[in-house]
Amino acid sequence: MNEDKYDLVIIGAGPGGYVAAIRAGQTGLKTAIIEKEYIGGMCLNWGCIPTKSLLESVKLFRKIKTAEKFGIDGIGDISFNWQKAVKRTKPIVKKLTKGVEYLLKKNGVEIIRGSAEIVSDKMISVNNRTLETNNIIIATGSKPASFKNAKNNILEIENMLQETEIPKKIAVFGSGAVAVELCQLFRMMDRDVSLLTNDDRLIPGLDSSIEKFLIEKFNKEKIEIIRDTVITDEGITGNGIKFNFDMIINASLRQAILPPHSLDLTIEKSFIKTDCNLETSIPGIYAIGDVNGKNFFAHSASAQGLAVVNKIQGIINDIDFYKHPINIYTYPEIAQIGKTQETLKNENIQFKISEFPLASNGKALAESETEGFIRILFEEKYGEVLGVQIIASNATDLISEASAAMQIEATVFDVAQTIHAHPTVSEVFMEAGLDASGIPVHK
Amino acid sequence: MRYIFKFPDIGEGITEGTILEWYVKKGQSVKSGDSLVKMETDKVVADIPSPKNGVLSAIFGNVGETINVDDPLVEIEIAGINGEAAQELAKVEKKDSEPFEVEEKGYGVVGTLEIAKDNAILSSSMEGVENKQEADKIQKKILATPVARAMAKDLGIDINQIKGTGPAKRIMKSDIQRTYNNRYEKPLGLKTETNQENLVEYESLSQIRKTIAKNMIQSKQNAAHMSAFEEVEVSGLINIRNKYKEQFAKEDLSLSYLPFILKAVALSLKNHKSLNSEMDLNNNRMVYKKFINIGMAVDTENGLVVPVIKNTDKLSIKELTNQVRILSTKARERKLTLEDMKDGTFTLTNYGSIGGLFAVPIINYPQAGILGIGRIHKKPIVKNNEIVIGNILPLSLSVDHRIVDGGETTRFINDIKAYLGDPVSMLF
Repeated sequence: MNEDKYDLVIIGAGPGGYVAAIRAGQTGLKTAIIEKEYIGGMCLNWGCIPTKSLLESVKLFRKIKTAEKFGIDGIGDISFNWQKAVKRTKPIVKKLTKGVEYLLKKNGVEIIRGSAEIVSDKMISVNNRTLETNNIIIATGSKPASFKNAKNNILEIENMLQETEIPKKIAVFGSGAVAVELCQLFRMMDRDVSLLTNDDRLIPGLDSSIEKFLIEKFNKEKIEIIRDTVITDEGITGNGIKFNFDMIINASLRQAILPPHSLDLTIEKSFIKTDCNLETSIPGIYAIGDVNGKNFFAHSASAQGLAVVNKIQGIINDIDFYKHPINIYTYPEIAQIGKTQETLKNENIQFKISEFPLASNGKALAESETEGFIRILFEEKYGEVLGVQIIASNATDLISEASAAMQIEATVFDVAQTIHAHPTVSEVFMEAGLDASGIPVHK
Repeated sequence: MRYIFKFPDIGEGITEGTILEWYVKKGQSVKSGDSLVKMETDKVVADIPSPKNGVLSAIFGNVGETINVDDPLVEIEIAGINGEAAQELAKVEKKDSEPFEVEEKGYGVVGTLEIAKDNAILSSSMEGVENKQEADKIQKKILATPVARAMAKDLGIDINQIKGTGPAKRIMKSDIQRTYNNRYEKPLGLKTETNQENLVEYESLSQIRKTIAKNMIQSKQNAAHMSAFEEVEVSGLINIRNKYKEQFAKEDLSLSYLPFILKAVALSLKNHKSLNSEMDLNNNRMVYKKFINIGMAVDTENGLVVPVIKNTDKLSIKELTNQVRILSTKARERKLTLEDMKDGTFTLTNYGSIGGLFAVPIINYPQAGILGIGRIHKKPIVKNNEIVIGNILPLSLSVDHRIVDGGETTRFINDIKAYLGDPVSMLF
């Protein structure tokens, strides 16, 4: 076999691409993965992982401020050191990216560092090499749309960790999970934070109950929401009023990062259009993760990657995006899976809601983390769990129970029957399940 | 000992595969895990590994041939296991209902590979084969999601008959929905009816209605319905009834035609045992009943019930009249007991009392037949080459064609016709 002939070439080594590559290697496909800059992509390098380690620093900072309430005296003035917090993220990122490289190599995947160009549906050129391949996966991710009329004081998220300091008065532009998370992160660092948004919803696609919670939370934390904003180098106006900020972080609507190509790829709303098997308009070329615009979460990209490798191997599984949980690392955390009450209403599905507040949960009380609730949306006739929304300090972990329940089409009766250890925050699941079954215990 | 390895279900719901390449030859020795054959299914191309160590004593199928799941692929002679040891192993294999995992490797098979269990191992004397039926009876646990189970139960769908499309062939909600939609050619409604609230009226299903629905569907799905129709000239019967009506009335009994028909059917059933039987598929046998208990469908305000007259053939017309009266009254007053309704062997449905002529009755499953009785009416008939006025009783017979053949059906209805045409013959 020609040295440069492959079964599969993947462009982009983020959580979509690298997972697809590992599975492809495992199933015996001759696979190469091309990465321009970061093994692990945004997720490992400046997204999920480093921001979560920063968030942990910020949460600890916040918690220490309440130390006296927990019975700890002698904590004096404390301050947040951005540089040290950023430094702490580096070894974590390094360990994970090295781990990914190791797994790729272990499974016989060739890693090529360079910029790929798709020459034809079966040909890719990189570093003056031409790779011949039967299948291509485009997993190049996305980035926020750049500002047309402003350059000063604008910080792209990709460069955030290179900043030596975060100034006092900042604004986050955009909507969605990342924008909301950053607002809270900086607010917990005692910065003055404003959210500049032109969307109706702070996080589009979330249930209205969560949106309502978020708006109240922002008001309480004095994070200003400025709507109808126009940003130019001359200044910022929102609702017709002028504002000034030391720095604006760009978390605006994301756009696909397209690799250079000479293909007739169908693009829809600035993302690569794919069918239900994630195949693009050109047979044998697939697009997974952010670049297809279906879902912007790392775990969804990974799931899509596995589905495409299965498809290449002849196994076709339907991808149900409603079963991909949405995790938002605010404080407290927000998680959602399945359908929202708005979607269910629009689809005319008969459903009921069972809600249980964290304020009645022993563990949450013990931790002084009582803000939040769980809501189970279930089908009326058979009790199938159709959607779950959680707001809790550990909502992003709790949601996995809902994912499992939905994966096996469980009913609220199953949720109610599942014994949850005490004391745990997860008991709220059981309580909501019992309530839904009409036999509540602690309500 | 010979071990017959059957083409296993390699997952994804495949039913057949085409042989692309044999990796082995007859007489070759193989180890467990060695690839035997490359098979192409409609989902994957997969290498099928040998489940045992041994020497191949036979290979079934040539390249290009299509093989069904559970058809034999190869026969492996396993050295050193003979006689009692082989029988012991056969027992163990038969009990083993767990699929074994096949390691994923290369382009390999994803999922689990199940060895054909029943009758897979044959000792040279063919002993143990007679246990096949018993092995068949051991049902594997059906994988299904909680919602799929609830829906199947609710909709009266037998979950054992459904092919799952979920992971590990688990039966999913969508599989039940698809089955339901295919069966009733309409989508399963879990959605709110919008803007129709005033156009329709909703009423919860009563238990009796649910039971009727379940039984009807069960009958339609399991029995092969076939119907025959006949017209009987019953002037003779009318005369007899008119003659004895007064006499019965003195004893406060109202003599109708039904007891005569019950008697005629009961006597005919004696000569046609297949109509007084049921099919026991679980045990691959017929069950012929030596008693004749005819049920009669009674239309009540709440729905249809079928009380049973025990030993119908042994009762006189007067006793039958009495039984009909007692059971109908109990039915209308909802006082029937389980005892009154069980052990029926055949059923009559008398829609003629309301005015109907012909119908295609649904068998009271698992019985083999049901006779529908229409309204006696006057009609021109030909008698001795002349057109005269006849009194016609229309009969509609439905049988389970799995059990009763066409000829027997006709002979049975002919017997009934003969008895009713000449009621005195019932005395002989």
